[in-house]
Amino acid sequence: MKVTIKSWTGVATWRWIANDDNCGICRMPFDASCPDCKIPGDDCPLVWGQCSHCFHIHCIMKWLHSQQTRHLCPMCRQEWKFKE
Amino acid sequence: MSDKSTMAAMSPSKRRLQKELTSLIREPPPGVHVDEDLTSQNLTQWIVHMEGAKGTLYEGEQFQLQFRFSSKYPFDSPEVTFIGGNIPIHPHIYSNGHICLSILTEDWSPALSVQSICLSIVSMLSSCKEKKRPPDNSFYVKTCSKNPKKTKWWYHDDNV
Repeated sequence: MKVTIKSWTGVATWRWIANDDNCGICRMPFDASCPDCKIPGDDCPLVWGQCSHCFHIHCIMKWLHSQQTRHLCPMCRQEWKFKE
Repeated sequence: MSDKSTMAAMSPSKRRLQKELTSLIREPPPGVHVDEDLTSQNLTQWIVHMEGAKGTLYEGEQFQLQFRFSSKYPFDSPEVTFIGGNIPIHPHIYSNGHICLSILTEDWSPALSVQSICLSIVSMLSSCKEKKRPPDNSFYVKTCSKNPKKTKWWYHDDNV
C-alpha cells in the first residue's frame, strides 16, 4: 500500500522551566501571565535572581520599585541581583 | 466567585486575595479559620478566628484577627489587628489589638500571605512564657494612630 501525505499540521507546546509552578508574588502559574498582562510567554517573561528564585518580571519590578532602600528577594530576603 | 471570567475582571490585588481565600478555606492551618461569609462579601477586609494552641498559655482561648488590605497588596502589607472581647495578653500585643511584629511592616515581603501571617502569630503566642502586656501599653494605647502601620515600631526582642 502506498500512502501519500497531502498535508500535515505541526503542533507545539511550551512551558517555562522554573523551580516552582507559581510566581511567589502574584500566585499565578508561571505558564500564565502576571495579573497585569493578558498573553503569557515572551510578553510576560520570567526573570531569575542570583539567589535562584524566579518571578514574573513585572511582579519583581513592581516589588523593587516599591522598596525605597533595600532590594531584597521576596522569598529568601537576600539582596536581589538579576542573574545574567 | 472563583469562576474564571469573574477572576479576570478583578484587580490584581483582589485576584490574589481570592486565591488565598480559596486555599485558606480548603486547607486551613491548625487552629485558624477564616469567616467565609464576611470575607466573601468584602475581599479587602477579612476576619480570621484563631484558637490558642494546645499545651501553650493560650490553650482554650479564642481570638479574632482583622486583616485590611490596600489596593497595593501584596506589595503593601495588610493592616492586622486583634479585635473583639478577647485580646491576647502578650508582651507584643497591645490592649487595643495592635501587634508588634516586624513582618507586618518593615520585614514584609509579597511572598508572605494571610496564612503565613497567621502561622507567625500562632507561633508568637505559643512561645510566650508569661502573659503580660507590653511595658509601654498604657502610653501607646493613649497616643497611637488607629492604624498600626503608622506606628514607628521598634523591634527589640525576638525571643517571645
